[in-house]
Amino acid sequence: MNAPTKAFDPSQVKEAPSRFRTALGKYRVSRSAKCTVCGLCVDVCPLGVNEKTGGRITSPRDYKCLGPKCPTACFKQCPVQAITVRTDPTFETMGDYRWTGDMLVSTYYMCETGRIPQNGLEYRTGASDGGFDKLRLIFPKDPAQVSPEEVDTSIELNRTGDGRPQIDIPFPVYGGGMSFGSVSIRAIVGRMKAAQALNSFCCTGEGGYPDDLIPYDNHVITQVATGLFGVREETIQRVRIVEFKYAQGAKPGLGGHLLGDKVTPAVAKMREAVVGSALFSPFPFHSVYSVEDHKKHIDWIKATNSKALVSVKVSTPTDVDMVAVGSYFAGAHIIHLDGSYGGTGAAPDIAKKNIAMPIEYAVPMVHRFLVAEGIRDKITLIASGGIRTPHDLIKIVALGADGIVTGTADMVAMECVRCHNCESGRGCARGIATTDTGLVEIMKADWVAQRLINMYQAWRAEVQRILAKMGLKSIRQLVGRTEFLAHLDYLPDHVDGEIEY
Amino acid sequence: MNSHEYVRSILAARQDLYKGMPKNLSLSTEEEGGCGVTGFCCSIPVRGRHIFKPSAQMHNRGNGKGGGIAAMGFIPEMLGVDQTTLNEDYLIHIADLDGEGLKALEEKFIYPFLDVHLAENIPHVDDYRDIAGLEVRPPDIYRYFARVKPNVLKAFAAKKGLTKMAPRDLEDEFIYQNSVSINRTFYDPQGKMKAFVMSHGRNFFVLKIVGYAEWVVQYYKLDNFKANIWIAHQRYPTKGRVWHPGGAHPFIGLNEALVHNGDFANYYSVAEYLKQRNIFPLFHTDTEVSALLFDLYSRVYGYSLEHLIEALAPTQEMDFDYLSKDRQRIYQEIQKTHIHASPDGPWFFIVARNDTKNNELQLLGITDTAMLRPQVFALQEGSIKIGLVCSEKQAIDATLDSLAAEDPRFGTVADMYWNARGGSHTDGGTFIFRLDNSKSNGEEKPMTCTDKFGREIKAPQNQVPFLPGRVFYLMDDGQKPMLDLTEEYAKGDADALYKMFIASIRDWDYAETLDCLKELKRLANESDGNLDLTLNVMTRLIDLRYPTFEKKRRSLLQMYNYTLNRILCGVAPLNSDQAQGKYRYIDFESRKTLRAPLPGEAVLVVDSALFPPEGDEADGVLLREAYRLGWKQFIIFRCRGQRFYGCGFGPATQGVRMDIYGSSGDYIASGADGLEIYIHGNAQDQLGQIMKEGKLVIYGDVGQTFMYGAKGGDVYIMGNAAGRPLINAVGHPRVVINGTCLDFLAESFMAGDPLNGGGFVVVNGMTIDHQGNVIPQASPYPGSNLFSLASGGAIYVRDPHKLLVEEQLNGGVYADMTEADWELILPYLQENERLFNISVENHLLKVDGQPRTYDEVYRKVAAQKLAVLTGKAQKDGLEEYK
Repeated sequence: MNAPTKAFDPSQVKEAPSRFRTALGKYRVSRSAKCTVCGLCVDVCPLGVNEKTGGRITSPRDYKCLGPKCPTACFKQCPVQAITVRTDPTFETMGDYRWTGDMLVSTYYMCETGRIPQNGLEYRTGASDGGFDKLRLIFPKDPAQVSPEEVDTSIELNRTGDGRPQIDIPFPVYGGGMSFGSVSIRAIVGRMKAAQALNSFCCTGEGGYPDDLIPYDNHVITQVATGLFGVREETIQRVRIVEFKYAQGAKPGLGGHLLGDKVTPAVAKMREAVVGSALFSPFPFHSVYSVEDHKKHIDWIKATNSKALVSVKVSTPTDVDMVAVGSYFAGAHIIHLDGSYGGTGAAPDIAKKNIAMPIEYAVPMVHRFLVAEGIRDKITLIASGGIRTPHDLIKIVALGADGIVTGTADMVAMECVRCHNCESGRGCARGIATTDTGLVEIMKADWVAQRLINMYQAWRAEVQRILAKMGLKSIRQLVGRTEFLAHLDYLPDHVDGEIEY
Repeated sequence: MNSHEYVRSILAARQDLYKGMPKNLSLSTEEEGGCGVTGFCCSIPVRGRHIFKPSAQMHNRGNGKGGGIAAMGFIPEMLGVDQTTLNEDYLIHIADLDGEGLKALEEKFIYPFLDVHLAENIPHVDDYRDIAGLEVRPPDIYRYFARVKPNVLKAFAAKKGLTKMAPRDLEDEFIYQNSVSINRTFYDPQGKMKAFVMSHGRNFFVLKIVGYAEWVVQYYKLDNFKANIWIAHQRYPTKGRVWHPGGAHPFIGLNEALVHNGDFANYYSVAEYLKQRNIFPLFHTDTEVSALLFDLYSRVYGYSLEHLIEALAPTQEMDFDYLSKDRQRIYQEIQKTHIHASPDGPWFFIVARNDTKNNELQLLGITDTAMLRPQVFALQEGSIKIGLVCSEKQAIDATLDSLAAEDPRFGTVADMYWNARGGSHTDGGTFIFRLDNSKSNGEEKPMTCTDKFGREIKAPQNQVPFLPGRVFYLMDDGQKPMLDLTEEYAKGDADALYKMFIASIRDWDYAETLDCLKELKRLANESDGNLDLTLNVMTRLIDLRYPTFEKKRRSLLQMYNYTLNRILCGVAPLNSDQAQGKYRYIDFESRKTLRAPLPGEAVLVVDSALFPPEGDEADGVLLREAYRLGWKQFIIFRCRGQRFYGCGFGPATQGVRMDIYGSSGDYIASGADGLEIYIHGNAQDQLGQIMKEGKLVIYGDVGQTFMYGAKGGDVYIMGNAAGRPLINAVGHPRVVINGTCLDFLAESFMAGDPLNGGGFVVVNGMTIDHQGNVIPQASPYPGSNLFSLASGGAIYVRDPHKLLVEEQLNGGVYADMTEADWELILPYLQENERLFNISVENHLLKVDGQPRTYDEVYRKVAAQKLAVLTGKAQKDGLEEYK
């Protein structure tokens, strides 16, 4: 089943504004009672912050506002000084060091418009003072002349040459596993629709394969996780990619854990478990305690579905390089490394960021080891765990990954505010990580899909812009090219090019 | 000198051995996964070629990047020495890694210290490339039979402060230390790798290569070389490029060679413990430290085998409470002292050990306490005895096949197959096959089998095995008319035929049994109806238990299997132009001729013998394709470890039936959704994972993690299940296990309300003895963990004597056995009776010969809402510490 339009065709972008009355933005625009409804502000603002309908000016769409430094400055032009623009106090409370308010708001902007924000929001890096936020891109002095439009962003998912189907995706991103139970069915269906439109994939997570996903079979990755919830032969046979989840970077050593509150009758039915009882997945597969068991496990999936590719998702322990090589020899097509920055509010805080290796350490380690073993070009290396922006994507590819998997970014696209209450049934005020029948209603799958399509269009344009500026015609040329990166703590005396700060 | 000082003096004597070693231990170990391990111990020396087949059949447990064997117990002439030299000398194997010879090494470490009675470069195939697949040239091996020169030994004792040591112990220690020095000089991971000592004990050697284990046998020309004990290992190092076999198994202490399947988590802790005792690993694998531990406990601490095993695999939980007070006291001390060095995580060791103090050759299998690695033991008794231990039962059967093909005194089926229960009070997770070297009778040595506690394991006594081609036909008077079953076949009554067979077993000798089987075979291939009848009878003979009187069941099984295989091989091939028939035969050679069934064709008979165990060419995949083409009934026979039968058929496969004969492999019925699978014999590991619907019947035991994550299905097990059955099962699986389980039954079971469509497991705790009597086991469930953290479903245990206790539950509760419960399980017990002849009325509901009611016999373990399952979110994971 192919998407009606070509993936990443600009015509796929359609405005997808916030589903809430007050969208979140950086600035607050207020209009006082002095306003005479002259309409000047509406005329001067090119961004549509101020709008007039009927005989009145509607409440400002201030999330689009460029702030006090705006060159048009409606607030200065207002003849009666009815308009004030200042930083929104809500904005100050938003986000955290990794996902700053700027980054959340700029992601919302991309999702609404399909474009990179131009209003000075820092959309590229966070403020964590580590990881990706310490890395900067280096643009060479005299790059080859490449126009952004001609940059190829596609990657291959089967490089083994084992006779199984060759699958290409046009942009090196697919959706990470979020189970039915952890997020609402609408969130899942929306992600699948986007995956279909973008000719990519999205993973079911370990909560089973709801029938609502059947129309998107060709773009579904079904997960076989340690709990084996909802995994049936027919679900394995439906898909083109099967993912084994051994561990999550956010909480290595812990299996999936769905708290009792979220095990509603619908979730329990899908997983064939007991309503209201927490669902633990064991940490390891009970049938896999060694690499030869692992091979047997992969052989099993291959025997069940002769055409599927197999992805192996692991966290990033210190010997992750060996794990990757082992997985390759066991017959995996994709090795998916999940680093420590990811994870929703349901993952225990003590585990997040404290156990697994950060992804920017793991990827080069694995990449180099695979190169040394002579098998790097036989396997697709996918990274996840805290990849938030197109810039993060560029950085991790330059460190050695072929592509990435997103999770949190997709949630943010659905207007997640990172309040960290994902684990409780009614907890998600935004109606994303919920199975509560009431809360589910506040979000629509088509809207989710459009937001994601817009976001990845914006990402892709940015990736193409960056690669062109680097003089690269294809993202495949960037893999492992650390010479395009600078670390702020270890800046060399001389850089043959320009560092983008 | 008290023992404390003794231990200290030896450890102190090793202080300067490791001078210059980095103070901090290397954290990095050579990565490897589990592996395939196999070993056997025979009362007579047998040829090396017999380790070939089991090794080859466990290829999928290694990756060809490390294989090794150890052989123990030799015929002196085969090595060119006399018996005394063989018994008394150290047999040293040194691998020359760079091919430049060992002159420097010999001048420094061999000839100055040792009286060498024989030195040779052992024979090998001229060009390693003649062995298909072998890519790295195996090292040249230099072999020495030697003793330590008396004056050297004396000086050594004086210098090292070991003058009070018994001479032989002192000599052992010298050899050990000398080898450490050799390895430190010539095997330096940071510098040049020139040579290392592969083995140096008495009456055994080790050989290892970069390749599969069976290539060792080929390369070093051991096909016809005989030994009592053979062990082999297929390694699975995850590092891609390996150029020398230093990291391959077996590893040695002094008089033991150890192979390992697993990967324990506390390598660093164990290595640190060894370092504190002046022992440093040089090869950086967890297997090496295990062998070093073994040697430390046995030679330095002087532990008995029982205490040595306790130090490696401590008795835990409820099992500890069941030990005698005396044992508890000693075990507690052992655990206090050595728990930090107890390997933690999945491991299974096979050890060949020359217990020189007791003049006994031993083969041990030891499992970790959680039984995380697969393991099967087997014993065959007869005019010669053999004990076997393997990762997979199919490898045991392959060994027996190989042996029986050469020497008819071996049978193709063992008397007994069983699993060890790790860290238990019942068997200690260990079984030991022992050869008494002092009582050799010619080439034959008396063999016994014991568990950790010294309890002897014996095959049923007073039964005679079949010895083909020798006595039995001679006893015939030659006048007796051949048995003719034509009339019986005409009646078509399978029940009657089966009963006739069973009733005749007592009076028939083996020859008559064979005659009858010949007659069955003759008639079977005459018509479809006859074949139906024959298969029905033969299958029952193979499946069921009945008195065999003075004949061995294993010998009868051998004949039945043989006959059945002959009959099935005689079925018309799929691609032949023979007239239409119900049955059609396909094998590996003819696999490409697979086609849809023609009218009248119903059963596809698959000869599994040459199919690979996995991959696109496997017969599991062929079956799937056959089903797509319209076949619904399958007979699979001559299996030897093939996996994935019944996988990939997809949903709603009701009406499909599969009968599997031979040594079937792992993962059968995983994903099954409607079909029926009958396994005629023991089954291996990981069966019925995510099974959804359908029926699975196993006429024997089943291996590890059976029905993991299952959603449903009706399953009947005639014997025992190994560790961790039905973990994380949901939905409505309904399972009857007539034996018991090793441990961890139905952990995190979530199968709803059994009285309202949910799932359950019945554990009968029975066993069937060799005369067909159904009798209760010592405990219906000996494990310490039953139904832990379960939130749904129920376990019904036949426990009339109330042997199960609260401590075994972690979350479950003993609930009343109601009439509704009984009505729920009764139909399953009735089906169980129909399948296995285990009668509800006469066996299950009878206790000590007296009839009882269901609620006096069965106990129900039900789920209970635990706080941990319903409790609120844990925010930081630290709640339990607050």
